[in-house]
Amino acid sequence: MIARVAEQCFWMARYLERVENTARQIQVNVSFLLDADLPELTHWRPMLLVAGELDHFVARFGEPAADRGDRVQDYMVWDDQNPVSLQTSLRSARDNARTIRETISLEMWVGLNSFWLWFHDREAQQIFRRDPHAFYEEIRETCGHLAGTTQDTMLHDEAFDFMRLGTLLERAGQVCRMLDIKYHALGPTSQLPESPAEAAQWLAILRSCSASEAFFKRMSVSPRGPVVAGFLLFEPDFPRSVMHCLTRAWHFMRRIRPSDSLIGQRSTTLMQNLLRTLRATSIERMLERGLHLELDRIVSRVAEISEAIALDYFSPETPIRSESA
Amino acid sequence: MIDDTFDEFFDPNGEIRHDVRLVVSALDALGRDEFRARMRLAEATFLRGGITFSVYGDEQGADRVFPFDLIPRTIGAAEWATLARGLEQRVRALDAFLNDIYHRQRIVRARVIPRWLVEGASGWVRQARGVMPPGGRYIHIAGIDLVRQPDGEFAVLEDNVRTPSGVSYVLENRAVMKRVFPRIFRNARVQPVDEYPMRLRDALLSVAPSRRRPRVVILTPGIFNSAYFEHAFLARRMGCELVQGADLFVDHDRVFVKTTRGPMPVEVIYRRVDDAFLDPTVFRPDSLLGVPGLWRAYAAGNVTLANAIGNGVADDKAVYPYVPKMIKYYLGEEPLLRQVETFICARKGHRSHVLEHMAKLVVKATDAAGGYGMLIGPQATKAERRAMAARIGDNPRGYIAQPLLELSTCPAWIRNSMAPRRVDLRPYVVSGKDTWVLPGGLTRVALRRGSYVVNSSQGGGSKDTWVLGGTSA
Repeated sequence: MIARVAEQCFWMARYLERVENTARQIQVNVSFLLDADLPELTHWRPMLLVAGELDHFVARFGEPAADRGDRVQDYMVWDDQNPVSLQTSLRSARDNARTIRETISLEMWVGLNSFWLWFHDREAQQIFRRDPHAFYEEIRETCGHLAGTTQDTMLHDEAFDFMRLGTLLERAGQVCRMLDIKYHALGPTSQLPESPAEAAQWLAILRSCSASEAFFKRMSVSPRGPVVAGFLLFEPDFPRSVMHCLTRAWHFMRRIRPSDSLIGQRSTTLMQNLLRTLRATSIERMLERGLHLELDRIVSRVAEISEAIALDYFSPETPIRSESA
Repeated sequence: MIDDTFDEFFDPNGEIRHDVRLVVSALDALGRDEFRARMRLAEATFLRGGITFSVYGDEQGADRVFPFDLIPRTIGAAEWATLARGLEQRVRALDAFLNDIYHRQRIVRARVIPRWLVEGASGWVRQARGVMPPGGRYIHIAGIDLVRQPDGEFAVLEDNVRTPSGVSYVLENRAVMKRVFPRIFRNARVQPVDEYPMRLRDALLSVAPSRRRPRVVILTPGIFNSAYFEHAFLARRMGCELVQGADLFVDHDRVFVKTTRGPMPVEVIYRRVDDAFLDPTVFRPDSLLGVPGLWRAYAAGNVTLANAIGNGVADDKAVYPYVPKMIKYYLGEEPLLRQVETFICARKGHRSHVLEHMAKLVVKATDAAGGYGMLIGPQATKAERRAMAARIGDNPRGYIAQPLLELSTCPAWIRNSMAPRRVDLRPYVVSGKDTWVLPGGLTRVALRRGSYVVNSSQGGGSKDTWVLGGTSA
């Protein structure tokens, strides 16, 4: 397929994944505060940290605003100067989709375009003010519909493979970043039993990853730090675990890569190495070495893989290869 | 009704014309509320589908829905058959003209049309002399603008044989109409338009440079082009790839597209980029939309460009008055379609007539399309007419004038009731080895009261065009 189109498929999917992730995180934060009856303080700042936006935010709105839910939500939802706000991500997804309209299915386009129109409608604003929970719910549902529509209406060809790849790499990175920040906000707990507030926080982390039901089905222990981190990193059957995302991404990379060719070598090698490393380690080993460092390493390796994919497929060198001359 | 015009639905006595009787009574039976409800459904469908055009200089929410009027414009089967024959004849003659003018130039030597007029056209591409497009076809897609005159006869207003647009609206309008008026539609036995993308693809493949499985791409200037929706629409419906200039490159006079598996050859380009921007090494050097080396690949016969390069000389408005002569000269036939009287400002006698009677005439730039560079004498101010006279003085070859035409009217839905509004018609003619005329075409309607301007940028909208009595619907 056309290299530029492949790149836009990849990014459209990444942006949509980002929309869903962001909406879910904010939603969990909102309801977590209600559940645990905690002060707002210290629960919004990590969100800006995960997004990598704390510095920009503080520079524009001042230090105290970073602890205020309304200010942070406004910034993470509507601010068009925030490169990772819902507004920006959704616009980028829609812009990409518009440029590859002939590639995505009509149903996807109509779904995404309607989403975008809804988001810019007064109705969305009103729901946001009146019932934030419903607002984020609506966004997550729409993302779910779009994912299903993609799966069920797109030709499962290369374009689809690049979309899946974008989704999975984005998701793997997001889970790592979130785990990193939350884990460090809470600190590794050694003493048992944990306080009720701590337990609630671990539950919130699972919820931020849509993982609480899956966790209880699979694990018979209560959600404590290391178990939760281990689940989110290594559970092979959980669709948002880092291991699952990367294994699936590897599947799509193999589909994309033409056999008997050097194309794709860079990204393939990097991915193989990362998977090998992950399979050889465990949550205990990672905690020993320091979880922050380990998570950070995964995030940067995933970023390297993204760059290698771009080099391998999105900006091909123009000299003619023998088979097409 | 508006006096001294032809109305598509009603005869001068106010009686419903025979051909449209069925459609009118079915619409009537719906009732006003139901009609309104269906109008809303249609609008929502367009918006959700992003069936829009961009307005230049409008950054936020750059797309707008092309205003759509739900009352179809209808044409009887017999009348359409005559029109289609005339259109096919006209395109055949224009194609023969391009072939001749870029090769032997017999028509010039026979003094049927003056050389200075042809080679003075801004669409004349001197480099194209002696270059034969693959399959010998110049005009793959033509959009011929027609207006119906007060006596009920259609006349050609202008030819568009470079990059005529609008066909996607024909197809989308039809899809919406089917959804909104399923029963009326079925009963009216409307001739289908859906096969256009397949017809176009087949036509393009039939004139590909010889290859086993030619790759067809559509070349777009990108999402900021006002017709981007159409480019993407056609790519999707034709099952081919939509590319931008930077996706293509030329090596050893062959065109390649950059893919995820390396470069792949391209044999056919339906390009929606103007001649001047196609190849910066030959035409405009500042163009970022084109492909360096494309011209050489084309001249070497390695790629089909649709439409061919240099077609602008055939739809030049000062060449237009000679089309009937072309039909006689090349085809030995009598022209089937009427034309509009045209004064060529480059001719001294005509020019003085134009300058003298400008208040009664419409002055148009010879190389423009879409209503740009036009002066409507009766509606212009004195200062505007003076300015136009000066422009004509500076560049007489650049202008022609025609009498102000009475466009026919058709009922449109304006603020909860029907009112007559002026319409034109752009049918599409697709040619490869053979020629096919899309039944109907784009009916544009001047939605503002009293307006003659049907362009979407100036308050124009569109209607679905129903050619009745088809073999299947």
